[in-house]
Amino acid sequence: MDILFNQIMPKPLASIQHSKESIWGKEISLKQGGKIMLNASSGKGKSTFTNTIVGLRKDFDGELLFDNRNTNTFSAKEWIAIRKEKISVVFQDLQLFYNLSVKENLQLKNSLTGIYSDSEMKQFLELLEIDNKWEQMCGLLSMGQQQRVAIVRALLQPFEWLILDEPFSHLDQENSHKALRLINSRCDEQKAGFVLTSLGDTYGFLYDQELKL
Amino acid sequence: MLSKLLFRNQDKKQLIIAMIGSFLGITFLITSIHYLIKVNEFGQGADILGPNTIIVQKKVTTSSTLNFAKTDFSKQDIEKLKSNRFILDVKPVISNNFDVSFATADPMVPRFSSDVFIQTVDPDFLDVKSIKWKWNIGDTFVPIILPRDFLVMLNTFMSASGIPQISDELAKDIKFRFRISNETSEKEYINAQIIGFTNEVASILVPESFMNYGNEKYGNLTEQKITQLMISGTENEFGLVEELLKENHLESKNSQMVVGRLKSMVGTLILVVLGISVIAVFVSGLVLIQYAQLLMSRNSYEVRTLLRLAYAPQKIINKFFFYFVKIFAWVSILGVSMFFVFKYFLDAMFDEGGLYIGTEVSFYSFYALLLAYILFSLASYLNAKRGIYKEF
Repeated sequence: MDILFNQIMPKPLASIQHSKESIWGKEISLKQGGKIMLNASSGKGKSTFTNTIVGLRKDFDGELLFDNRNTNTFSAKEWIAIRKEKISVVFQDLQLFYNLSVKENLQLKNSLTGIYSDSEMKQFLELLEIDNKWEQMCGLLSMGQQQRVAIVRALLQPFEWLILDEPFSHLDQENSHKALRLINSRCDEQKAGFVLTSLGDTYGFLYDQELKL
Repeated sequence: MLSKLLFRNQDKKQLIIAMIGSFLGITFLITSIHYLIKVNEFGQGADILGPNTIIVQKKVTTSSTLNFAKTDFSKQDIEKLKSNRFILDVKPVISNNFDVSFATADPMVPRFSSDVFIQTVDPDFLDVKSIKWKWNIGDTFVPIILPRDFLVMLNTFMSASGIPQISDELAKDIKFRFRISNETSEKEYINAQIIGFTNEVASILVPESFMNYGNEKYGNLTEQKITQLMISGTENEFGLVEELLKENHLESKNSQMVVGRLKSMVGTLILVVLGISVIAVFVSGLVLIQYAQLLMSRNSYEVRTLLRLAYAPQKIINKFFFYFVKIFAWVSILGVSMFFVFKYFLDAMFDEGGLYIGTEVSFYSFYALLLAYILFSLASYLNAKRGIYKEF
């Protein structure tokens, strides 16, 4: 699925002076399978970018097109289908259910498509070294552990784009690399692209397109 | 797991209060509708006259006896009575203007003969199938409605003759005969058959066509006066009918008035209970809906996150909708059970008090419950839909 940002300007950011390189107000194309780094300092709209691309925010001027279809015309049902099969997200605020265990958080997501078994989900956690937290309440995990659970949860569905909103902000370099390796391999398996937003750190990530806000 | 996530965060105290309110409301709603119907049905079928119907005449006083005051009704009198909101219909009771005698004509029954007085009333006032209540010249018999007192008299005669007494049903199979005649000794015999009984009319009732035939062929030429009227009033407003009779110096058979008054009183009381029950069901339904809103608001983070994870809004709506519909179903089942417990005791109380109302369940109560259930389900669904889409 190709994504086109056509002169998009989020209304809350319209009054801010944006740099010449900023994607806001320009035509930017995200080609299927692309690996994109989105760098920006705080308050420039990284989360706005994430929320706009998954249809959580519609307060912008311009057009957002998926395979040349204007997303303004999408119904709730279509957005749900896109979130289920086309675009997966790791939100900056993680959006975990803190009163449920890691297992239950992952099962809730996986039950929508049922593509993985419990043991496969555990293997993902093992790759990120948190498989021992399977039965533990998410609210009791450290921020870094919660981030890793959110990353694994985002991988439990088919997708064409994976949007990661500062997913490694609480991870050390070693764990960031492990997570990035897992993300890369899952994206390669599905021939999917991903957008990684960051405050400037590239985490050694070899991207094919860099965007700025 | 979705249920665990969405319904874990609850204040059950408020839910239990709403459930108790709904339970009481539903119990009294079913009970009051059931007894309102039963009280209105009270007396129906016992008499061939329709419900809420009375026969009235002007009060006979000394001055009317001396011909100073009229005891007959004019057209204006009838129209005046009809113009009252609580009066459904007023029709004259027509009497015979010719000589009639009534006799048994059955070899199984000893001969019995008596001069009688016959009357006719509009078929709309009779609780009888119209197909039975008609007569044409040449028909083999005239259908008649007999005063029950007449049957008592007939049974007394049978008993005195050493013949077993007859029941209502058996009396309907006995052949009778009218002899209609005039002063010039012209006469005619016409067979008659009982199709029903009445406690409220003192004369034998015949179809209008038979009365017209007799009056035209054998009647004297003087204009017939209307001295009795048949009045039907609206349900539960018998007090107003009584007031009207007083104002117009009219009187009716006391038993008719007592039943009407009793039905009006009990009916009004039950209507008050019904009104309170409807309000109780409505308010408790609202409390349940408000509780659902509170629950959705407490779980707004969970709902929003589920939507972000690609859970279909309809799936989450259904979770909330079915949860509350199930609660209302349980409350309804408890309410219906309590109604049967109440009914058991109330029926016994009415029976002991001499009010023999029907014991079979009135389905209108359940239609009302069904309506309340449908309205609650609809309100729950719309409420859930609005709450979930707000988070989308």
